[in-house]
Amino acid sequence: MSTGRRIALALLTNPNGYHAAAWLHPSTDAKASTSIEWYRDAARLAERGLFDLFFIADTPAARTSQLEAYSRLPMFMNVFEPITLLSAIAGLTTHIGLGATASTSFSEPYNIARQFASLDHLSHGRAAWNVVTSANDFAARNFGHEKLPPHGLRYERASEFVDVVQKLWDSWEDDAWIRDRARGQIFEPAKQHAIDHEGKFFKVNGALNIERTPQGQPVIIQAGASDTGRDFAARVAEVVFASDATIEKAKASYDDLKGRMAKFGREPDGLKVLAGKPNLLAHSAQEAEDMYQTLQAMIHPIVGKMRLGMDLEADLSDLDPDAPIPEDRIPKSANFHQAYFNHILDLIRQGLTLRQLWQRYERGHQTFRGTPEQFADHMEEWFTAEACDGFMMTFSLMPSGLAFFVEHVVPILQKRGLYRTAYEGRTLREHLGLKRPPNRYVAAAHPLAAAQ
Amino acid sequence: MSAARMIHLAFSAHLSGAHPGAWRHPSTEDGSDVSIAAYRRLAKIAEAGCFDMFFMADTPALRINDLEAWSRYPLFTNVLEPLTALAALSGATEFIGLGGTATTTFNEPFNVARQFASLDHVSGGRAAWNVVTTANAYAAGNFGPEPLIAHAARYDRAREFVQLVKKFWNTWEDGAFVYDRPQGRLYDPSKLHPVIHEGEHFHIRGGLNIERTPQGHPVIIQAGASDAGKDLAAETAEIVFGSAKTIEAARAYYGDLKGRMARYGRAPEELCLLGGMPVIVGESTQEAEDKYQTLQELMHPVVARQRLSMDLETDLSDLPFDEPIPESRIPAKANFHTAYFAEIVRMIREDKLTLIEIARRYQRGSTTVRGTAKQIADTMEEWFSTGAADGFMLQLPLQPEGLADVVRLVVPELQRRGLFRKEYAGRTLREHLGLRRPPHVPPVRQAQAAQ
Repeated sequence: MSTGRRIALALLTNPNGYHAAAWLHPSTDAKASTSIEWYRDAARLAERGLFDLFFIADTPAARTSQLEAYSRLPMFMNVFEPITLLSAIAGLTTHIGLGATASTSFSEPYNIARQFASLDHLSHGRAAWNVVTSANDFAARNFGHEKLPPHGLRYERASEFVDVVQKLWDSWEDDAWIRDRARGQIFEPAKQHAIDHEGKFFKVNGALNIERTPQGQPVIIQAGASDTGRDFAARVAEVVFASDATIEKAKASYDDLKGRMAKFGREPDGLKVLAGKPNLLAHSAQEAEDMYQTLQAMIHPIVGKMRLGMDLEADLSDLDPDAPIPEDRIPKSANFHQAYFNHILDLIRQGLTLRQLWQRYERGHQTFRGTPEQFADHMEEWFTAEACDGFMMTFSLMPSGLAFFVEHVVPILQKRGLYRTAYEGRTLREHLGLKRPPNRYVAAAHPLAAAQ
Repeated sequence: MSAARMIHLAFSAHLSGAHPGAWRHPSTEDGSDVSIAAYRRLAKIAEAGCFDMFFMADTPALRINDLEAWSRYPLFTNVLEPLTALAALSGATEFIGLGGTATTTFNEPFNVARQFASLDHVSGGRAAWNVVTTANAYAAGNFGPEPLIAHAARYDRAREFVQLVKKFWNTWEDGAFVYDRPQGRLYDPSKLHPVIHEGEHFHIRGGLNIERTPQGHPVIIQAGASDAGKDLAAETAEIVFGSAKTIEAARAYYGDLKGRMARYGRAPEELCLLGGMPVIVGESTQEAEDKYQTLQELMHPVVARQRLSMDLETDLSDLPFDEPIPESRIPAKANFHTAYFAEIVRMIREDKLTLIEIARRYQRGSTTVRGTAKQIADTMEEWFSTGAADGFMLQLPLQPEGLADVVRLVVPELQRRGLFRKEYAGRTLREHLGLRRPPHVPPVRQAQAAQ
């Protein structure tokens, strides 16, 4: 590789696996979601595969209705809280980045800033925060709200929230802590910077009670697909999880996103786009396809209807599975995930029955089924076309899918010069090739030094 | 009771700021307050000493004024956040309880319930939550725009907050998750109990997304000293940190607190009272005393003067160190801590000391117990056997050295006397403390009981 550009890999860690029926599969451990040993082993396996990032998605809620369906689908119903989980994993791993989702709708910026800063310290520079605005009313009701605020307002709050958090992360200059025992001075008062923020949502006058972190600031992840979301990502995100189904769409979205960065004074290199890549691999393409069909057939009909209904944002539970969804049951527009909604609409327009829909529909895009060579080819194609900078790996079955990938795909990518053969740095920023952000107060005082 | 009653030991981890001079002491490691390796070593020392609990106090704020003094005394100035640190420690330890402070003033009940439940799972049943309300204006500044709520309202909110957290912890019955593959069922829907809460401060309809924890729920700690605080503790606390300075005051507090429990249908042994005890142990009395004086000397004069200012409730920063504090600078009366104020005033008027002499001698009400292992064990035994405490929350001015000294010297002495365990008998913090695992109470019934 003349450019030296390397694929970045993140693992979206689903206990059991990404597939809705994974927990029913004999190869998985049904109790994985509350087993710290399971997570430890998964993280170490990903670290053995030299992954950049071990990532935990989240929703701060148990669903308390439609129990007939949710008691059959492990959708965040019984999971560790991500920040405590990653803190526990930090001491059990040495290199892999540790990323978690935390909502800006139901926390205080100071608490989030502090916990991620603490995670960055105790992992020696491996923390990343996936900024989400939360996407369901179950979560809202755990926090005293009847419904989520509308999309625009949520993003406005998220935007200000991130600003406050990043300001707090710069509370201390890197060399503020001098620990001069002889003079009896432990930090330089001039290098502490209290913030005085007053915005539409937050009024914060204070500073963080933890020194600047190994990465300067934890890495910011974002996944917004809407126009508002993309502008937000172009302004603040350093990693974006993308979910485009085709290379053409991915390329367009990649260029669009990177193109938006200039107006926020950012270089395209400061943001890494990781394409979501659900996959099910085997030694032969047929074997992979068979495994996939087996899993699809294991989806309970109640679960099938409910999952489809969730993303179509309509209750389908009373409908005949073997007829198309009646036109009057299809909402006019999406309130949550526009991309998922649009995908289902596309399938409906093909005239499928409800059952065919739930067996064909997948959140985001189709699971890649094939051999290690085929998958490596696919990855290389996307990567070299600059449709992405790397991938967010989601394995249908865990940990077997990850183990297979590490054993059979990673060596191919390495042989092709597309992927590291050892960790070269210690922090997540170093893995991703992201620069350590200068402290804003130092940068303001020494603009030339900061620009270098 | 066939088993003899045993002393319980906890300590407050604060690697460089437990004494204002500690960070300058040669035994203190630079940056240990943000070093997970240093915390890990500390926890392992305590676990080797069979301690019940490793505890992290907290305040969600940094002091941003008077930096001339605070830059010389790192009091919660640069520390790991307790929940993340305790979760990280869970993998490095096996038995010791992991307690941390989280305020009810600047958090959401769901988030606190969830993180402590998660910690209890990650640690295999060793989590404890110290419920505090926060009154600092400098903390309130971090959580605007709402202004700091008044004392009574803070306690109201705290009471409701704890009720709600317990409801969240009871979202699931034990054994709700059946993972029945043939039936395609992860959990039994009849064992999910949604939280429906209509209170003065919170309106919640939801549920926690993690199953009931190994301990049933994490242990609840409080430190209430006010009347409202004592009632809240008698109703809900399973550990109370006492702050009495004398054995007489401690006995009175112990009797008062345990006496209040019957009102809430609780037996006295459902609450473990740990007396706060600052300790320095030495091979000889003189060595312990020398260690203490060394630390007092390491306290920077500016810090010493500022501590006096705080408790004399007046600004002394313009005064010279080596002269007495003029009579005209003494306020007419105290607004906050009357006892501390009186102690300082007495030293000014009766002992005729200079400012710096007072500052170095002043101990903020509590006397650090300095002595040999035998002397310290004697004190503990007296408190323990005469109804002043069920155990101790040790404050160790120097860490890890002070903790290592206690484990090396005091723990064996207590063990010889049959007052302290020689090895852990259980795995969970509740088992160490002799607290029962609370049965599941459906949130709805819990709400009715509270009415």
